[in-house]
Amino acid sequence: MSIDIELVKSIKAHGDKVWSVAAHKKLPLLATVSTDKICKIFDLQSLEQIAELDDTHKRSIRSVAWKPTGDDPSLACGSFDSTISVWGEDYDEWSLLAVIEGHENEVKGVSWSKDGYFLASCSRDKSIWIWEADDANEEFECISVLQEHSQDVKHVIWHPYEDLLASSSYDDTIRLWKEDDDDWTCVAQLNGHQGTVWASDFEKSEDSIRLVSGSDDCTVKVWKRVSSEDEESFRGDSTEVWELEATLPEVHTRAVYSVSWSEQSGRIASIGSDGKLVIYEEVKNEDSESQWKIIAKRELSHGVFEANSVQWTKSFIDGSVENLITGGDDGHVNIWGIPLR
Amino acid sequence: MSDVINANPTILDDKSLPTRAEETEKVTERSLNPHLASLLDLSLVDSSNLNDQESIHSTPSLENDEGSDEEEEADPIDSQEIFDLVAHISDPEHPLTLGQLAVVNLPDIQVRDSGNKNEMAEVIIRITPTITHCSLATLIGLGIRVRLERCLPVRYRITILLKEGSHQSENQVNKQLNDKERVAAACENDQLLSVISKMLATCK
Repeated sequence: MSIDIELVKSIKAHGDKVWSVAAHKKLPLLATVSTDKICKIFDLQSLEQIAELDDTHKRSIRSVAWKPTGDDPSLACGSFDSTISVWGEDYDEWSLLAVIEGHENEVKGVSWSKDGYFLASCSRDKSIWIWEADDANEEFECISVLQEHSQDVKHVIWHPYEDLLASSSYDDTIRLWKEDDDDWTCVAQLNGHQGTVWASDFEKSEDSIRLVSGSDDCTVKVWKRVSSEDEESFRGDSTEVWELEATLPEVHTRAVYSVSWSEQSGRIASIGSDGKLVIYEEVKNEDSESQWKIIAKRELSHGVFEANSVQWTKSFIDGSVENLITGGDDGHVNIWGIPLR
Repeated sequence: MSDVINANPTILDDKSLPTRAEETEKVTERSLNPHLASLLDLSLVDSSNLNDQESIHSTPSLENDEGSDEEEEADPIDSQEIFDLVAHISDPEHPLTLGQLAVVNLPDIQVRDSGNKNEMAEVIIRITPTITHCSLATLIGLGIRVRLERCLPVRYRITILLKEGSHQSENQVNKQLNDKERVAAACENDQLLSVISKMLATCK
């Protein structure tokens, strides 16, 4: 049942906490951001650093996200200095393309929509901003400000195939957002966590719409969209019905800071303050009911430090494994190999 | 902070506070407290580990044995030492310390530590604000957190809570004090840091 988690490489990437890691959807590129105000880019084939994006943010960079589209790779960084920077590569040179201002204080999360058309950002100012991006990443127009969360918005993530946005908050809820008649509205609110929801991630599937979330309450939960009542949208009250599908086996003893749902294997990974890296797999029992089981666990994934971020990516080196990238308070970025079945 | 929020707090005599220094009767001057000194040394040792590429990773059980101070676990940290670390923090509005004001109390400090330096350990402090509507409770809690983060080995997770029933916004303050991201952002605020530095200036 259980499988091995092998440490492929541990990179001392930053001089302070690594807050977030992001692997490009198609290219062998990894971006990492830190309290040291620097965003670094690594090649996932050579595992060497290829660029350092700095001298722009005045405070910690909290989040980083790759734009999934475009001829050349580009990304966005969200910082505690309340701004978002957008960077792109052109002829092997990385340059700053735009600095987006608008949030009142710390930007905590950034995410690009499936086609790179929208950029979402969230902040301690309790709001989520939806920006319309141009192909050159130079003009960003704010088309909506969503203010329904009653507290800090910790994280935002777009669905990989739909223009559906999930936000996680200090108000203990997750909200789902959709465009409805040129405006963005909250189509569902997920209650169930007993503490701050730190992050969420969608299942990478076109037909099954599910979301995994990690919380300060030490649990990891899977939510499922059971119906989407688009026909009601003419009344301007489009809603979706979501329900809690499962609470994954509880092994974390402190806050869960990050979760990731693998495109390749359908596995879920979680990581957090207790330093445990946990991998779950969905299995069907005799009555073909689905159940999540822990298939691997690595204690102290960043030594005695807390771990802040986890993300799945395919391996560009070894086709028999998939990779997990993690970032911790020790300034390290760890690359793990997990065998595919 | 010009209006004093609690003008007449109960004050304990500094000399009556529990301390390791008095208990052992070996140390007359608390600035020479050997436990404290070793704690500070240890925090330096650990931050140098942070800069060392390989010491923490791959096989912690072996590497840490070689890499860090062997004396670390010879003398495990107990609640008395935690108390000594935080009792002399100044109250932000009184010329008195958190120990004198009984904001921090020895029985309200718990240490959970397996004694293994390759494992995480936990400190839980329950603080008692001088009045139930004390608006400075968050600042006091943050001061305690900064003090402990600077002094304790990195393997310690720190939980700071208001003692049950001691504050009208207990849950809100607790949530804020233990939100890693908010604390990190707050500690990037120079103004706030300078207030905290003043509070910590009386620490020995």
